[in-house]
Amino acid sequence: MTVRPNRIVSSFFALLVLLLWEGSDGVSAAGPVVHVVIDQTAPRLERTAADELAAQFKQLVDANVVIGNTAPEDADHVILLGSPATNPAVEAAVGESWPALSDQGLVIKSLPTAGAPRLVVGGGSPVATLWAVYELGYRQGVRYLLRRDVFPDNAQLKLTGFDEVMEPALRTRTWNMTSDLPIGPASWALSDHRRLLGQLAKMKFNRVLLSVDAWQPYVDYAFRGVVRETGVLWYGETYRVDGETPGKTAFGGADVFQNQDLAAAKTYSERVAAGTELVHGLIDAAHELGMGAGLVISPLEFPPEFSKVLTGTMPAAGGHDLAVRPGGGVGPADPILRGLAGTQVKAYLETYPDLDVIYLSASEVPEWAGHIEQAWKALTAGRELNGISLDDFVAADDPNATTAKSQIVVLALLRQLIEEMPAPGDRRHLQWGIAHHDSGFDRTLDRLMPAGVESLHGGGVTARQVWQQRERLPGIPVDKVPSNLALTLADDRVGILSQLATRSIEPLVGDLRRSGWDGFATRCRLLAELDATVHFLSRASFDSTVTARSAHDDLFTTISGKAAVADRLWRGFGHIEEATNLIDENDPQFARPAAGMLLQHYRAEPIPDWWETLTDHYTQAMIELYRSHDATHPRGRPTLFYYAKRSEYVLEYVGSVKAVREAAIAQEAGDVDLAIEKLEVAMESLYNALDTLSDIARDPSDRGLIALLAAHAYRPLLAEYERLLDAAEAD
Amino acid sequence: MMRCGIASLVAAALLLTSAGRAEDWPQFRGPNATGISTSHDLPVKFSHTDKVLWSADLGPGIACPIVASGRVFATTMSGERTFAVICFDAASGKETWRREFDTGPLPAIMSPNTQASSTPAADDQRVYVYFSTLGMMALDAKDGRLLWKHPIPLPTYLLGWGAAHSPIVYENMVIFNQDDDLAPFLLAIDKYTGKQLWKTERPEMLAGYALPVICRSGDQEDIVVAGSGKLKGYNPENGQERWTCNTLLRTIMTTPVVKDDLIYVSLQSYGDTERVLKYALLQWKDTNQDGRLAKSELNEAFWEKFDRGDANGDGFLIDDEIDAAFQSPTNMVGGGNIVQAIRGGGRGDVTETHVVWNIDNKAPSNISSPLVSDGRVFLVKKGGISASFNADSGEAIWEKKRIRNFGNYYASPIAADGKIYVMGENGFLVVLKDAPKLEILAKNDMGESCVATPAIADGRLFVRTHTKLYCISNAAE
Repeated sequence: MTVRPNRIVSSFFALLVLLLWEGSDGVSAAGPVVHVVIDQTAPRLERTAADELAAQFKQLVDANVVIGNTAPEDADHVILLGSPATNPAVEAAVGESWPALSDQGLVIKSLPTAGAPRLVVGGGSPVATLWAVYELGYRQGVRYLLRRDVFPDNAQLKLTGFDEVMEPALRTRTWNMTSDLPIGPASWALSDHRRLLGQLAKMKFNRVLLSVDAWQPYVDYAFRGVVRETGVLWYGETYRVDGETPGKTAFGGADVFQNQDLAAAKTYSERVAAGTELVHGLIDAAHELGMGAGLVISPLEFPPEFSKVLTGTMPAAGGHDLAVRPGGGVGPADPILRGLAGTQVKAYLETYPDLDVIYLSASEVPEWAGHIEQAWKALTAGRELNGISLDDFVAADDPNATTAKSQIVVLALLRQLIEEMPAPGDRRHLQWGIAHHDSGFDRTLDRLMPAGVESLHGGGVTARQVWQQRERLPGIPVDKVPSNLALTLADDRVGILSQLATRSIEPLVGDLRRSGWDGFATRCRLLAELDATVHFLSRASFDSTVTARSAHDDLFTTISGKAAVADRLWRGFGHIEEATNLIDENDPQFARPAAGMLLQHYRAEPIPDWWETLTDHYTQAMIELYRSHDATHPRGRPTLFYYAKRSEYVLEYVGSVKAVREAAIAQEAGDVDLAIEKLEVAMESLYNALDTLSDIARDPSDRGLIALLAAHAYRPLLAEYERLLDAAEAD
Repeated sequence: MMRCGIASLVAAALLLTSAGRAEDWPQFRGPNATGISTSHDLPVKFSHTDKVLWSADLGPGIACPIVASGRVFATTMSGERTFAVICFDAASGKETWRREFDTGPLPAIMSPNTQASSTPAADDQRVYVYFSTLGMMALDAKDGRLLWKHPIPLPTYLLGWGAAHSPIVYENMVIFNQDDDLAPFLLAIDKYTGKQLWKTERPEMLAGYALPVICRSGDQEDIVVAGSGKLKGYNPENGQERWTCNTLLRTIMTTPVVKDDLIYVSLQSYGDTERVLKYALLQWKDTNQDGRLAKSELNEAFWEKFDRGDANGDGFLIDDEIDAAFQSPTNMVGGGNIVQAIRGGGRGDVTETHVVWNIDNKAPSNISSPLVSDGRVFLVKKGGISASFNADSGEAIWEKKRIRNFGNYYASPIAADGKIYVMGENGFLVVLKDAPKLEILAKNDMGESCVATPAIADGRLFVRTHTKLYCISNAAE
């Protein structure tokens, strides 16, 4: 056998690292001494696992954790970390009794021994070993939230009695980041992302996706002499937080809300440089935690400057003036369109060679329905259709026929784009995927999707809508096409108020497990009150007996120290979920974050009855959350206080909406004084809403919410109030 | 008569002496907590960058700055469990000394309260500082040396607000009132030695935060404390209760203001007009919402009171048992509106004899105290909604007028130089003309949120924002 020099060097460094660890950990601690045994050449993730275990045990029981490749014979507590493949000590201790594990399976097993307790913590891969460490922490009482860990008081070191083998039923657990608005991940600096990814890794998420838009500063390319020049965040809007901006104390004196990593970038080139650096950092951070990293891109949407070469473009849906798509005058076979789309996709591939996944989003081009025949032929060529014809699922009288047809045309084009992309070469495996929303071709997915390409099903906008259509899920051939379901935890179309969908998600997760789906991809912007939902997804992915309620009780009974608190929180969250459904059913625009979001209600129409119900639900939620906060153990207070204050903010916002409507009604009735008074009430409520948010702004999304509400709700309201006041004074 | 007059003059002189120099601001809200300063040439328009004579980074805290003999004292949590008292030279802003204390484990508190919330009191020799886990301490004003320490039991609350009581200095005493839900009391400590002079229990009281004030009426001088339902006057010499006025509401967080021999009170008890506690406790402490309180739903410190209220011994407090457990039987009912003027100097129950006027009005804040200046009582509450009343009659001069600054108001208004300064929690300090008509002179951005009431001394305004201390002056370049 030839030992390569670089292996000697890496072994030396590994040994050095181990020695340094042993040296630095040799300091005394009040708690027990725990020896963690890993191999000298342990994979990086297993070394991370050892460090994480040491940190957790330090905080749990003030343990002095000594990491090394052996443990003294008289050691009191020994943990063998890794698998037989990575750690000879594990192999020696477990031998043939090592369970059959997939690469995601994990094991926590106490070894029968007459002497000191010995525990094996490992997995079918290094990242599974890392998850096993986090699972051990969980079993010791640590609970993982999206922003922090909560440790139990007076924990006792326990290494005996474990015999756990876990395999995930849902193998792809994706955190999908929608990054368009200031309330979303586009506001997050890399350090913010790193913190969140660290928490997600503890909850065994294994993939992170960043959805990027055509106008964002994450890529650069040129096509036929046209150079890309649009690269902005948040649709190019600037969010002031200066002067009398309510809640501005959350911004530490800044005049403008910014992503801190892009704050210094002034030009297009600087923004793209900063943006790509951030995404590279995000990919690296994911890889450091054993997570896959991917992008969701829309290859048929471009910055408007490319209208110079692509004729007949139209504004892309939701793209404001910053993105265009092909219109009816350009067919899917148009060489310029294909060239431009291909250039864009290649640019992403070349900019981010370490990507694990790229999803192509199937944009809507309804004008392409007429190209269905060619697309159908292209997609089905050489495939066994089992007698299914185009007419079988695009019936002529189907009101959604145009959408379904155009989606198939787009699918054919995306397939061709993927096939035309250069092979990845010596880069790591790149997984392609297609993200789509239409259910028209669900049943024939295996016959239409490009081979080896994943599918991300968008389904409805909200989890409730997907739940309502859940009968379609079992018919999707997920055994042939690796499929993930988009689970909307909170949706911008439902708005910026507190939202929960756990009880709609629960049956969907059951369906996914039973039908053999690959997994899910979350959708949300704000982390808000989503701890319990994400905790449920984390636990239910590995354990089919976990329910939304049992996960909730497990989380909050542990954090608060009281089952009664968990019960009240369950009720409180239930009210939030009822409120979410009310908005979804009645007026998805009610609090949608966009220009005019508040003054859209400034019209002299009767106050809908459901607003009262909505207020009742949010009021009850606030009472339950404050009641829970009051009764919780101090370790749970920060989290419950955050929830409670957010419920206060929501009530103030809803109060502001109601007052705006009352002002319009008063004005219509000619009572200007009352109209002014109502607008004052609306302003005060909105001010209080933002002020309340500033009390608990924990991350850039929270701050982005303040900035967004100041821009789209408070300032327009103030302007209207002053206009009315001036008019009244002039009279 | 002459003797009384001389005695009054002496007492007045003592009062002034004990409060320090005329333009000092030696305690919460300045001389006798009035919020009034005799300073002149105070700035109108300024900000955290404009007319700043000096500023200092303090760290988080909500205690008010105080000024005595050219020294400014402020407090902060300089570490997770480190409480700091800092002294600055009032003219230059130079940090003269800093004294830090290890607090030990800290009790739970409710926002916006913070651990460093008690405002110190000072004379020209010492600064007297209270901290929940440390008790009362006297530090040498010159160098911060610890002169004495007097232990004080940790306050215990049914609803978890947390300690925020402040001391005052009166003659040779440090007076400290601690109304909590367990064992409320009024305490006098010898300011030279730290020895207890007297301690009067206040068993009728529930948690409250009113600062004691001094009221002289004729030749009688009282320590006046507002508490649950009742305003009481105590003899400063021995702490004995002299009079009580049963006209207040249940939860008292504002501090009365004395002008001449009238005591002005403005209250708002979370909208409750009833004095009973049971509704609040069933709302917030009955965690499982079964309509009764179990022992496990309460802090262990209250279990003895729990047993006292559990008349049928079934292990639960139901309905009136709740009030019986936590409230004094002599303080269950009483009248009372929310803006009142009560004449001091009484004896016994003065409810029917000393209330000068008593009006029902929605103007008061539950936190921000009234300001009595130039014959008017000025109030401000959440939303920046102000009101003004004739101090003699209680007649409204204006009501429900906005000072054009929304948000919460935890700080109390203060006045000097013909101006009223109103600090909003949002960090804007609104300056009004001290006049019978609301006139907004300026709205000044202090850069970050602020809960502490500013101080005024020697033509300077001292503003303690969330993390900083600003000295604002027209003398600044």
